[in-house]
Amino acid sequence: MQAKAAVNQKSGNILNNAFASHFAKSMFLSVTALAILSFIGTRMFTHVDLNLYGYMVGTIVFIGGFFYRFIAWGERPPTKLILKKGLKLLFRKSTPKTSVEHLATYNFIWNRGIYRWTQHVLIGWGCILSCFVTFPLVFGWMYFTMDDNGYYNIIAMGMKVMTVPADGIIANLSYNALNITAVMVIAGVCMALYRRLKNMQARAEQKFLYDFMPLYMLLLVSITGLALTFMNIFLHGAGQPAMSLIHQWSVIITLIYLPFGKLAHIPFRPMSILARNYREHYAEQGMKECKVCGDQFVSAEQSKDVVDVLCVNDIEFKAKEGHHLAEMCLPCRRKYRIAQFSGFPTHEVKVKEANQNAKG
Amino acid sequence: MKKRLYLELENCIGCRSCLAACTQCGGHEERNRNYVYDVNPLVNRQTMPLMCLHCENPACARSCPAQAIQIHETGAVLSALVEKCIGCQNCTIACPYGIPKFDQEQNLMYKCDLCIDRTKDGIPPMCASVCPSNTLQWLTDEEIENKKKQFNLDNGKWVTSMPYLEGETNVKVNLPGILQGITKLF
Ligand code: HEM
Ligand code: SF4
Ligand code: SF4
Repeated sequence: MQAKAAVNQKSGNILNNAFASHFAKSMFLSVTALAILSFIGTRMFTHVDLNLYGYMVGTIVFIGGFFYRFIAWGERPPTKLILKKGLKLLFRKSTPKTSVEHLATYNFIWNRGIYRWTQHVLIGWGCILSCFVTFPLVFGWMYFTMDDNGYYNIIAMGMKVMTVPADGIIANLSYNALNITAVMVIAGVCMALYRRLKNMQARAEQKFLYDFMPLYMLLLVSITGLALTFMNIFLHGAGQPAMSLIHQWSVIITLIYLPFGKLAHIPFRPMSILARNYREHYAEQGMKECKVCGDQFVSAEQSKDVVDVLCVNDIEFKAKEGHHLAEMCLPCRRKYRIAQFSGFPTHEVKVKEANQNAKG
Repeated sequence: MKKRLYLELENCIGCRSCLAACTQCGGHEERNRNYVYDVNPLVNRQTMPLMCLHCENPACARSCPAQAIQIHETGAVLSALVEKCIGCQNCTIACPYGIPKFDQEQNLMYKCDLCIDRTKDGIPPMCASVCPSNTLQWLTDEEIENKKKQFNLDNGKWVTSMPYLEGETNVKVNLPGILQGITKLF
């Protein structure tokens, strides 16, 4: 038994040692996975759509940038902590509900404002649905064949999943899927641009490369995509090859930009579920009591983790009384600072903090 | 000319104008991000404001797993980026002064951003603009240096941040009256 474990560990090491870094390993594994999936999906590369070759290169560059960013980011002490502990707690009863609320319905953005929520649903879902359609097509995981009798076959991973009338609702929805999502994205991006021109906070902080560039890129992708349809239907395909190139180029640039700019929040956001689970789980395990007033203000685990993370950053907040500043609840910590200024121990006076909201 | 926020804490008369002004800053969405405390609430009326001191090595940003707290080129430590903050609340635990606030419904941290829409163009932040008692001022380093001379504190009691704070900060704090033993007149 023990010998077996040792062998396992050893072979694990061999696999890890074969690569120069985490980055190389992740990159190799995902490109291999993509290749295998495409091989199966295209029935041994017999159904490759060469028009889509540019996307394939773009996707692979994107994966490189993505792993580079994600791994560098995961090495930061606080990030590593939440990732490690959060992944262990992935399967809690509340996980499905939290995931839907955080990643699909965006309830928390609703609470920031209905305008911002509408804007994000249009952009987010427009993009997610587009990807569900595009990626399987690009890698040959899904394609269509037409029977003589006016029926369409939808083929996924080499298997026929559905046969639908070529002029039916489902067929029309699937021809137009990308047009519908393009309109969603355009509407959402316009809302975002309008907000960026009007909202003072946004205006103060926004930078061209970080805030506007992704919006313009999404706009370019959607408009050139719609233009392709327009040229097909109304111009009998005139100008199509050129527009197709522009469209491909814009998608590839967006993909390559994604891990480095604002859109990086898309792959990183699921961490909010890990953070929520981490807080819920450790709050049940035991709460930290404020060293001054005894209020339970955070889980004991998180309190300790934050102290450790600060320590790694060479930040150590020791109070004269011997405890760490992070061991005081927030109001006590503020009063404690007032006490340091004035010399009078404000935090020890048992009076609630008065009027902190400027309401008269 | 680079100016910074400078506090003469015991000038504070507790009017809470700074809290009210904070709510009106562009993007603060009518919620204030600063504090005013009674020093000895059961005995006298002395109050002092407390706001983010914009640390040079901000614990809030160091503890953030999402890199949501950015440091502006002016040195201001900004509020959480809305698309990055994952709502872990590490920053509220890490800040040595208990400054960041957290909104459970929006799953978002918000804190003083030194009214970056104003201060990036050299306009004083809202709180300093309205403070009627000169507790909150917007001064150049030279002017702060002159204050130091004016108070004639060669006894090592001048407080511009260290050692009364936990680290170097961009906001400078001072207590000239109390340190000189001057009794308050109001
Ligand atoms: C995985 C699920 C996602 C989550 C949890 C998420 C979360 C967020 C949040 C919280 C914001 C800030 C919104 C605000 O407070 O106004 C935001 C902004 C944004 N999101 Fe997402 N997002 C997700 C997916 C996507 C996708 C798939 C796209 C499509 C490209 C996208 C594009 C954007 C853009 C462009 C903005 C900036 C809008 C602006 O300029 O103000 N997001 N996202
Ligand atoms: S005072 Fe607190 S919130 Fe402000 S920069 Fe320092 S650590 Fe961050
Ligand atoms: S609550 Fe938001 S801003 Fe604060 S540490 Fe967590 S992710 Fe960062």
